[in-house]
Amino acid sequence: MPEGIYCNKRPITTEEELKALLSDTRGTKYYEEMLSLEVDREKLWATIQKTCKSRTKTWLDVCARCGLCADSCFLYLVNDCKPEQVPSYKIQSTLGEIVRRKGDVDNAFMRHAMEVAWSQCTCCNRCAMYCPHGIDMGVMMGYTRGLLYSQGFVPWELKIGAGMHRVYRAQMDVTTEDWVETCEWMAEEQQDDWPGLEIPVDKEDADIMYTCNAREPKHYPEDLAEAAILFHIAGENWTVPSEGWEQTSLSMFAGDWEACKLQVENVYAAIDRLKPKRVIGTECGHAHRATVIEGPFWAGRPDGQPPAPYIHYVQWVAEALREGKLKIDPAKRIKQPVTYQDSCNYIRNWGLAETAREILSYLVEPGYLIEMTPNKEHNYCCGGGGGFNGIGKFRPQRNKALLTKRDQILATGAKLVIAPCHNCWDAIRDLEEEYHIHIDWSFLKPLLLKMVIVPEHLKPKDEEEGDEE
Amino acid sequence: MFNKILFATTGSPECDSAARVAFDMARQYGSKLTLFHVLGIPGKGDSNLVIDTRTGEEVDADAEYLEGVAEELRTTYANQLEALPGVEIEVAVGVPSREVLRIARAKDVDMIVLCGPSEGQQSGFYKRGVVGDNLRKVAKAARCPVLTVSRPSASFWGGFSNIVFATDFSKASESAFQFAKTVVKAVDGELHMFHCVDLSRFQSPIALTQDGIEAKLAESRRRLHHEYATQLGDFKRYTSEVWEGTPYVEIVKFARERQADLIVMAHHARDVDPDERPFGSTLEQVIVRASCPVVSVNRPDKLPQAAEA
Repeated sequence: MPEGIYCNKRPITTEEELKALLSDTRGTKYYEEMLSLEVDREKLWATIQKTCKSRTKTWLDVCARCGLCADSCFLYLVNDCKPEQVPSYKIQSTLGEIVRRKGDVDNAFMRHAMEVAWSQCTCCNRCAMYCPHGIDMGVMMGYTRGLLYSQGFVPWELKIGAGMHRVYRAQMDVTTEDWVETCEWMAEEQQDDWPGLEIPVDKEDADIMYTCNAREPKHYPEDLAEAAILFHIAGENWTVPSEGWEQTSLSMFAGDWEACKLQVENVYAAIDRLKPKRVIGTECGHAHRATVIEGPFWAGRPDGQPPAPYIHYVQWVAEALREGKLKIDPAKRIKQPVTYQDSCNYIRNWGLAETAREILSYLVEPGYLIEMTPNKEHNYCCGGGGGFNGIGKFRPQRNKALLTKRDQILATGAKLVIAPCHNCWDAIRDLEEEYHIHIDWSFLKPLLLKMVIVPEHLKPKDEEEGDEE
Repeated sequence: MFNKILFATTGSPECDSAARVAFDMARQYGSKLTLFHVLGIPGKGDSNLVIDTRTGEEVDADAEYLEGVAEELRTTYANQLEALPGVEIEVAVGVPSREVLRIARAKDVDMIVLCGPSEGQQSGFYKRGVVGDNLRKVAKAARCPVLTVSRPSASFWGGFSNIVFATDFSKASESAFQFAKTVVKAVDGELHMFHCVDLSRFQSPIALTQDGIEAKLAESRRRLHHEYATQLGDFKRYTSEVWEGTPYVEIVKFARERQADLIVMAHHARDVDPDERPFGSTLEQVIVRASCPVVSVNRPDKLPQAAEA
């Protein structure tokens, strides 16, 4: 069978196709069809010739198979140091092999490569820090995923995720109407406690344009409300775009490069349209990588930069605390052992390790922050990065991968993990559910809201004695 | 009086009392009733798996499962649905409180009916975070009145008639009063207005002198009369009473004494962190303990229109 009904080389482009694929519970038929999906060898080789550039070729060539990357990989460590989990082996046995064979690979090979690409690598890029040649297996695995996607060998959930971006320009089925409605709803819900609070949509020339993660309006709209309250307290002139508000990219996890481009262009179009002085993304880590770090290249921007300065949420928080826009009540600082989960995507890929620590210096009473080992740029992935969290087929592997983070957290003795990245937050939530280590976890926004000093003029005026209930 | 009623149910026996009240009200007032069930909490990262709110199991919330759940609801409430045609059944995936608020807003309902907290709920990972917070979050944020029924309300046969309005004289309580006033006139019932001087709030022993307490009681009686009774116009079937003590205890006692079939109050706690309020707010304590339905009204947005108006 060259292509199946569910499993094929065609990207999802319509809502009907998306719903049809979603109706295939856990991708049962999808994976069945994948067993006989034909590899278009000519197209695969043509794609490689067109897209495999000198950096990747050089990396594949100069890799000495020395194995110095082995210990850098948490998946290698957590899987009993199996040779198959050595990063250089993982890439040489997949991408390296496809290139060496000039695309002449079969279905079984591609399915194996899919398993390696999505269940043995989270693209956390840690190995790159330890390779004597500076080879980044994470980047190459991202490239490999693209090749696999183009041939239809992609986990079911990620095919859906990429399809969501193509159909809705969001990782979930949140339409423009849903989004604008959610903004109104959240502003309305906060009116009693925060008089004058607004979530301005499509305001031109604001100081800040805010973008978020579609999971927030879909399931946790209070996250948007919290962002609004903090901007309100800080006195920021801000807005959200009605279109181009979704900053994440499951298409990046899927290797759907075209959808990546469509998605990020949508955000950039909003920047061009509203002309904010700068853009601030939510706490999500991969959203930042997709829209700020890699996005400019997908969109073909010659300077490698988004259309306006685009910073991560921790950068804004650090700045707001530093400049006194947000002031923390010293009495409310965290006085229990707490640790911090460094997100690969904005710590290692955007250099915000110290910025995050600066925030912690305001939030946590001295002596109560217990760092994981290793930490900052040397941190391990939460265990669910790169799409790993969402793939049902690889859930057993993902659950095993969570052990690294579990043990790191346990070793700190902390009961609270501050995890601004949405993906890390999910992984830590799941590890608690799986392993019951009795910890709590939090984004930055709710913590800040608990501790921030609210200026008198922003408090509601009707606080009389009616506070009994 | 209520054009659209939203009954949020888990479908379990704990919701039977609330179901009876919801269906009775819809029939009595000719309201459009929507039966709503949040079947699962989104979980597992970005995957399509959800945690079933009743079993705690992972499920695939696909079309088939959604339809299965709707069918189960139809079976559970078969008798009531037969007696009251035109009831809509909706199911959703999400955090329960959020989804209840979302659909209430989308459908512009005039009343939300909820089941109260029950002892039978399975303990689980999400209990504190979601199930326990559900009622608190809905009651605080809803624009319309929220009616909670946590125990069999035997008195609810021909509609509400004996209504207790408990006030703390807050702005939110004013909306609750407007609600109580409209309902009591519409059902031609009796209104019992009540305030409790909260003794637990006085730290100083000086404030606890009998003279001090009596002065507070007198002042509160004056306020009950001045702020509420004067608004009742020709309506004479009301009483007003001020007691002292711990508000939720006294409210429940008062409602029992007056054989109330509905308690009306506001729920406007700003401090909603359960860690900092281990015993919950007054309203939540009343809901847990009262033998009759409790309705919370915080805002004037969706008050019922009086029939004579």
